[in-house]
Amino acid sequence: MLTSCDISSLVIDSLCDQAGGQDVAVACFYFDFAAQKEQSPTSVLGVLLKQVVGGLDEVPGEMVRAYENQKKVIGGRGPRLSDIVGMLQTTTSEKRTFICIDALDECVAGHQVKLLGSLSQILRKSPGTRIFVTGRPHIETEVRRRLAGRVTSVSVTPRRDDIISYLRAKLNEDIIPDAMDSGLEADIMKKIPDDISEMCVWLPTLGRLP
Amino acid sequence: MSQSFSNNINSFNTFTVADDGSKILAWLSPLEPRLRHQDIQESRVEGIGEWLLQTEEFRIWCAGSGGDESDSAVLFCRGDPGAGKTYIR
Repeated sequence: MLTSCDISSLVIDSLCDQAGGQDVAVACFYFDFAAQKEQSPTSVLGVLLKQVVGGLDEVPGEMVRAYENQKKVIGGRGPRLSDIVGMLQTTTSEKRTFICIDALDECVAGHQVKLLGSLSQILRKSPGTRIFVTGRPHIETEVRRRLAGRVTSVSVTPRRDDIISYLRAKLNEDIIPDAMDSGLEADIMKKIPDDISEMCVWLPTLGRLP
Repeated sequence: MSQSFSNNINSFNTFTVADDGSKILAWLSPLEPRLRHQDIQESRVEGIGEWLLQTEEFRIWCAGSGGDESDSAVLFCRGDPGAGKTYIR
């Protein structure tokens, strides 16, 4: 109902809407348990850089040179983490940049440490960069440790209004509306928000699977 | 004549740069979060979670520019599992 990726996608869309027309870059990544293997710090930071550079008029010379150099060896080697971090430091200092990372707790622990370390390096060079991260509470200590002094946190649990909006949307999508009458609908709209407000609802990405 | 010749060269050069540009972008990472974002965006129920954008934490984070020492560049959004994970679909 209210998943971390819903929150992330809402924030990303709102940042993109605000950015419209201004010289602002928004880059995002969604972690996923099911794809942990492909989500190494190098490819995740690489894709963030790809999104920032994709919005520029031309690819920076530094990057063209890094690409040309790697192309020559062993039939084309991938970018190195240190090169990517360096290029992110440069591009994010030149342009206001928002980085959004969803479900950091779904990233392999070792990768998480490397990723947070790289983000910290980027912030040191480019303190105006804004980073939005979602995750379960148990990773907050690690996030705070690696990004010392730069973190504010906010707790997300669905509000009563969220539950009501969700139920309305689902009732509208009902494919057998004949089974519903106004009494039952009123009951649903009253009882479920009351019950759920007592609990905290937070779904992992896997909760999306049927 | 020479004018049109140089125009041709310019457009050829532009094409090459753009072509190399997309190769370099592909080289940076094989991941494509745009598709994932689109999927999530489509399944999201309108209005849900909007309150977060109005919180003081979010607004201050969003407007900050790293200028002063108290600035928080990172906003960590914590999902509290509370009594346990609840699956509602």
